[in-house]
Amino acid sequence: MITQEKYRTTVKELLASDSVKMVIGYKPGSTPDRRRPLFIRSSDDADQLVLDSTCITNLSGYLVAEGLLSDEKRVGIFLRPEGIRSINILAAEYQLNMDQIVIFGFDSTGREVRPLEGRHSKDFSALLSDIKENSPQISKEPLLESIERMNEQERFDFWQEEFSRCIKCYACRQACPMCYCRRCIVDSNQPQWVNTSSHTLGNFEWNVVRAFHLSGRCVQCGNCDRACPVNIPLRLINQRMAEMVLEGFDHFAGLSPTQEPVLASFKKDDTETFIL
Amino acid sequence: MAKIGVFICHCGENIAAKVDCTKLAAAMGEHPGVAVSVEYKYFCSDPGQESVKKAIRDNNLTGIVIAACSPRMHEATFRKACAEAGLNPYLCEIANIREQCSWVHTDSDMATEKAMDITRSMIEKVKRNNKLQPIEVPVTRRALVIGGGIAGLQAALDIANAGQEVVLVEREPSLGGHMAQLSETFPTLDCSQCIMTPRMVETAQHPNIRLLTYAEVESVDGYIGNFKVRIRMKSRYVDTHKCTGCGDCMTKCPVKKISSEFDCGLGKRTAIYTPFAQSVPNIPIIDTASCIYFKNGKCKMCQKSCQINAIDFEMQDEFIDLEIGAIVVATGFQIQNTAMYGEYGYGKFPDVITGLQFERLATASGPTAGKILRPSDGKEPENVVFIQCAGSRDPSKGVRYCSKICCMYTAKHAMLYAHKAHGGKTNIFYMDIRAAGKGYDEFTRRAIEEDEASYIRGRVSKVWQENGKLMVRGVDTLLGRPVTVAADMVVLATAMVPQPNAKEFAKIIGIAYDEYGFYNEAHLKLRPVESSTAGVFLAGACQSPKDIPDSVAQASASASKVLALFSKEKLEREPVIAINNEATCAGCWGCVLACPYNAIEKKDICDRSGRLIKQVAYVNPGLCQGCGTCVTFCRSNSLDLAGFTEKQIFAEVMGL
Repeated sequence: MITQEKYRTTVKELLASDSVKMVIGYKPGSTPDRRRPLFIRSSDDADQLVLDSTCITNLSGYLVAEGLLSDEKRVGIFLRPEGIRSINILAAEYQLNMDQIVIFGFDSTGREVRPLEGRHSKDFSALLSDIKENSPQISKEPLLESIERMNEQERFDFWQEEFSRCIKCYACRQACPMCYCRRCIVDSNQPQWVNTSSHTLGNFEWNVVRAFHLSGRCVQCGNCDRACPVNIPLRLINQRMAEMVLEGFDHFAGLSPTQEPVLASFKKDDTETFIL
Repeated sequence: MAKIGVFICHCGENIAAKVDCTKLAAAMGEHPGVAVSVEYKYFCSDPGQESVKKAIRDNNLTGIVIAACSPRMHEATFRKACAEAGLNPYLCEIANIREQCSWVHTDSDMATEKAMDITRSMIEKVKRNNKLQPIEVPVTRRALVIGGGIAGLQAALDIANAGQEVVLVEREPSLGGHMAQLSETFPTLDCSQCIMTPRMVETAQHPNIRLLTYAEVESVDGYIGNFKVRIRMKSRYVDTHKCTGCGDCMTKCPVKKISSEFDCGLGKRTAIYTPFAQSVPNIPIIDTASCIYFKNGKCKMCQKSCQINAIDFEMQDEFIDLEIGAIVVATGFQIQNTAMYGEYGYGKFPDVITGLQFERLATASGPTAGKILRPSDGKEPENVVFIQCAGSRDPSKGVRYCSKICCMYTAKHAMLYAHKAHGGKTNIFYMDIRAAGKGYDEFTRRAIEEDEASYIRGRVSKVWQENGKLMVRGVDTLLGRPVTVAADMVVLATAMVPQPNAKEFAKIIGIAYDEYGFYNEAHLKLRPVESSTAGVFLAGACQSPKDIPDSVAQASASASKVLALFSKEKLEREPVIAINNEATCAGCWGCVLACPYNAIEKKDICDRSGRLIKQVAYVNPGLCQGCGTCVTFCRSNSLDLAGFTEKQIFAEVMGL
């Protein structure tokens, strides 16, 4: 509550001084444990701001909305650490100018919310490095562990079963801050590389292509997972992908706004164990 | 509406023996869009090509598929035929039913099935081919020759004498390479330095040659006709413009006992030195590892002795950036590390030496002034044993190849020894005498018949010391019995191996190498001096072991290739380049990073009033090499490769 009040005041001040033209935050949703995005343009809007442990959506995708940043004015945004990593990637991929972004960082343990020190991406670099260092120690979800224990056939069957529910609504794509392309490859039908029908081939093609496009970019914010109307555990694919990229290339997505994309850069000391 | 012509080649029996061409032609004739489907014994022959041209004209074909050998063989042939028949050459596709089908399959029915798949796939592709026009790029008429041995010198002189500019880079302080170290050369026994030094001087004085010694190639970017090369000029600590080569500094240098690399450890040099007396340029360098000043900051004797103040201890490496049209790689060889041959006692017994060391002993300008003397006691040996194939043709030591020159130089060594030490006795252990070459067999016969070289066919198992003699234990396989020879000196004909950094260097220039590190030619028989990279040519022993005549011949061949390249104003390049869809490009610049040729730039898209709307990727057609790396990276599928468009590839896959 204290954090929320503090941030409300700060947001009002920044808007009043015209330091930011808008702040993206959270407001109450349709049920007590849901939050929806709030676009604060005035002091009155700021009164609706809510900040608690249920504010889990990664809002960074709204920053790349067409035209939002083109007037070079600044925009504030509420972000958890993974959200900060997201905007680092967006900056590294030249989708936004970091100097236009004012960060209201927060994190939560249990029901308690605490603010993160800093307003600019670079203020959080030590925090992100810590998260990278600690990431191997974080215990895995039991489901992910059980999948890793499966043999290839079992794993295929598992995902075939999960994907069989996929209706190609592309909610995962719409919710993902990394999916900013003006035209997604799945919407390209000359030629139609990615099969859009809901059979095994189409289901795998879409979900595997998306996983590849997120390799080295996903920060596991969980937006896709929560957006999925048929509850496919999409987060597990991306977690596994992130692990592999960290092991294989020592690449932890979104460490800094100048980090080179893992699939487009190369280091002479890459181990290259995957090359046969 | 597509009107595709399918031409199925028997390639004599190469294809027809396994693939039922009649069945294939009939099946392809049924395929939608195919107007003509015919077979013929050899479509690459003149009548074969004429029939293709006639079919194109008579049927107004919109594309053709030649089902035949690999496109590497005849794609150019049939593209030309297309152009002559008035069809854009890029509307021709090759279905490889030889290397990828008939040659690798035994079952006729299955091979025919597969040939149908391959051909159908290419029909589907060619339906979607676009008319492409070749890209013209300018040629920088300046050649870079890497290596100042005999091969490099020959290539540089040939190119320069034809009126073109040459930059010659040598990493040692002097030109000369290995040939400058040799005594007399087979099969004519002319003095190596006497024929080498005039070439060195001519090179240094040539108005078209820019000589960069004690320099290394740091990086190579760009492509044929337009390379950008960065050279590191290593600091000599001697001002090359001031130095007159008087040699006072070398006389005054107090560190005199450094083993000379040029003399293979048999002679001594100072810390400021030129490798040998006839060095070109005759400008010394300071060996910072041995120099007292660089070790503890005192001495500077050389600087004090230099009357023109040419010595500069503060000198730093410098970089020179060059624009280059063609590169000749002539980086030479090294001899194999003799430490690998414990059984021959090299390093343990001072009188076991390498062939190259024997060359230094036999040279008039060498450490013994041309007398064959034992390194241990300076006495003239009475009995010398030569061991051929020390390393060569020995898979257990990692060298399966023949080093090619050892049979000849060992015969020469025996001859020189006989001429210098009258009454001396030679024994040569050999596996085979390989003396193929003009005057070569006569030369080895002369060694045996006139100079009494005694050849023993067999390998040596062990060399040990006994009563001041080197005991050489081997086998005489012709007599079928073991032999032991007591010798005063043993000479090992060590294998020729690539330069130790050959593989790393190949990566800098971007050329291919074999399992040993010798550089690969584009085609062993038909393109022996071209490397796998267009515009980079090979000369001398960096490609494989070679003697002087072969190295010179190859260097001249490389030079003629360079000159042919320089004879044109512009080069035509294949129009297989990436193109970007600016409407869908998200501007993430992953392609910019991924492109190995720096061919992708950022392009501004502005509205009518000049206001920037967005930035997108733009592929520079002059720089793009069509590798497709950007295409695979592009998440929004905005980049595409002309000639191999996504539509074409997709159709190919679906045609299978």
